[in-house]
Amino acid sequence: MLKVKNLHASVGDKEILKGLDIEVKAGEIHAVMGPNGSGKSTLSAVLAGRDEYEVTAGEVDYLGKELLELNPEERSWEGIFLAFQYPVEIPGVSNINFLKTAINERRKYFEQEPIAAKDFLKMVKEKSTLVELSDKLKNRSVNVGFSGGEKKRNEIFQMAMLEPKLSILDETDSGLDIDALRIVAHGVNTLKSKDNATIVITHYQRLLDYIIPDFVHVLYDGRIIKTGGKELALELEEKGYDWLTKAKA
Amino acid sequence: MVVLKENNLLNSLSQMGVGLGAKNQAFELLKELEFPTRKTEDWRYTSVKKILKKKYVQFNEAEQVDLSNEIIPSLDAHNIILVNGVYSKELSDVNFPDEVVIDTFPNAMEEHVSLIHSAFNGIAKNNEEVFTALNTSYFHEGVFIHIPKKVKLEKPIHVIHVNTKSNVISNLRLLIIVDQFSEVSVVQSYASLNAVECLTNSVTEVFVKENAKITLDKVQSEEPNNNLICTVQVNQKANSIFKINTATVSGDFVRNGVNIDVDGENCTSEMNGLYMQKGIQHVDNHTKVSHLKPNCTSFELYKGVLRDKSTGVFNGKVIVAEDAQKIEAYQQNKNIILSREATMNAKPELEIFADDVKCSHGTTTGQFDEEALYYLQTRGLSRESAQALLVQAFADEVLDKVDSETLRIWIKEKLD
Repeated sequence: MLKVKNLHASVGDKEILKGLDIEVKAGEIHAVMGPNGSGKSTLSAVLAGRDEYEVTAGEVDYLGKELLELNPEERSWEGIFLAFQYPVEIPGVSNINFLKTAINERRKYFEQEPIAAKDFLKMVKEKSTLVELSDKLKNRSVNVGFSGGEKKRNEIFQMAMLEPKLSILDETDSGLDIDALRIVAHGVNTLKSKDNATIVITHYQRLLDYIIPDFVHVLYDGRIIKTGGKELALELEEKGYDWLTKAKA
Repeated sequence: MVVLKENNLLNSLSQMGVGLGAKNQAFELLKELEFPTRKTEDWRYTSVKKILKKKYVQFNEAEQVDLSNEIIPSLDAHNIILVNGVYSKELSDVNFPDEVVIDTFPNAMEEHVSLIHSAFNGIAKNNEEVFTALNTSYFHEGVFIHIPKKVKLEKPIHVIHVNTKSNVISNLRLLIIVDQFSEVSVVQSYASLNAVECLTNSVTEVFVKENAKITLDKVQSEEPNNNLICTVQVNQKANSIFKINTATVSGDFVRNGVNIDVDGENCTSEMNGLYMQKGIQHVDNHTKVSHLKPNCTSFELYKGVLRDKSTGVFNGKVIVAEDAQKIEAYQQNKNIILSREATMNAKPELEIFADDVKCSHGTTTGQFDEEALYYLQTRGLSRESAQALLVQAFADEVLDKVDSETLRIWIKEKLD
């Protein structure tokens, strides 16, 4: 599904990704772990199409397409979803209305008719139950007045509504208490299928108790320095990153 | 029909005698007053040179016109129609509760002469504002609205002004008296039908008596190439509520002046404005609220979106007199500029002479929130629809102040 080869990316003059490789197949869950400043958020931003990041070398193949050629909305239409570490508050834009617009723009892209109001409402009801998002929150302005946990649940609700092929969860566990973490993980696990894939970007092993990865990658100084199974996460939790990064240095 | 040119302005307009001495006084004043230049503080960012250069035609008779675009079909209102500045009896609604007066000054004079004399021109600033003096001396028959004591007019009054010929000058004059314990909602809309290069000079005097309430909604949607000067003078007595919402949709030159004297305790005054500008449009909003008595609150929210080469001005003044303690005055002006060539001049002013007050003001002018745009794009909104959504959200904060949903929808449609 996703093949990232020798990816280099910079912000301003600073190179952050320095030759990153990763391959994700349908049906898989990948965890990308690493200490602060290793390039985790840059990876998610580059994959989602944020234009502050300049890709200086490498290629990203997504379902046979050159991902880096697409703008953020085209990536979304093609099935990429980024759950933000810090979801943006947008006063005055209703959560539900913007999702309806988003869904209809994608349908337009695929030359489909707009979604019927009835089908949309049914979908909202079903998907919001999944992450226990109340009616009140659904109809409010996007993320305005939401608690940290509600914002993350809203990200997963949007993910469920948009039915992506490749989801990237950027530090979704940050700022979550244990109950919210369970709800979010339950949402992600329920949405998992043999046709879609997930990249979980996280600092801590904690989230991986609930979302079990098939692969764990360690990102350090802009490169993947180690890849293993789910047990690698436990090892990192126990030993920290030093044993890997020191060996590397 | 009379031709008006800048250099023979005073001699060329025809004066309609409606038995009001104020007209003659203003006429005399005009001989001494000068039109503002960029050196006049209140007109620093707004030049009237272009308007004064043109030739105008004045009408003294209303003509028949198809108003289907201007009457709001779903708004059950008393429609009062002025065509090229002249009241049209044929087109206007004359069926309203008996005790309520909605008529021209000449007609209303017969029964209400003392009431009109006591109020008319009482708060208009003829000696300070040359366009007000011009209006006072040259308005045609005007419209007088009186809501007597303890009357709540169920339906709103919609005063529709429309110019139907090019190069017309319309001096519109409205006097509204809302008596004790009364309530009314007035919509004033300004439009043009295939008319360009017009000058509409509108003056509205509003007296809000003790415990009365009035909402004034202004919708300015003249075609481009038209010029509009709108002055609203308000006097509020104790326990009264005054609210004005001004939506500027189009018109190349628009100058709004809202001046409120809060002359009683426990009053609430609210001013909201929305201007969505494009092309070479120039929109100037000047507001002034003078708190003369204690224990009052005023709210102000003006927001604008400027595109292309448009220019905007906001000047909001709040004055709290020495003995006017316990005043709360909140003012905000927010602008989004969507073009490198658009300009906004914003100036909040507070003049506070009392010591126990709560006042705040703030003004912001900026571009789109890039974070929000990116967020919406990652959800599959094209950049254009994400921008449209953010503009709509920005404007909605002001539009939500319009109480009537029907009117709100009508304004939104005009804005699209």
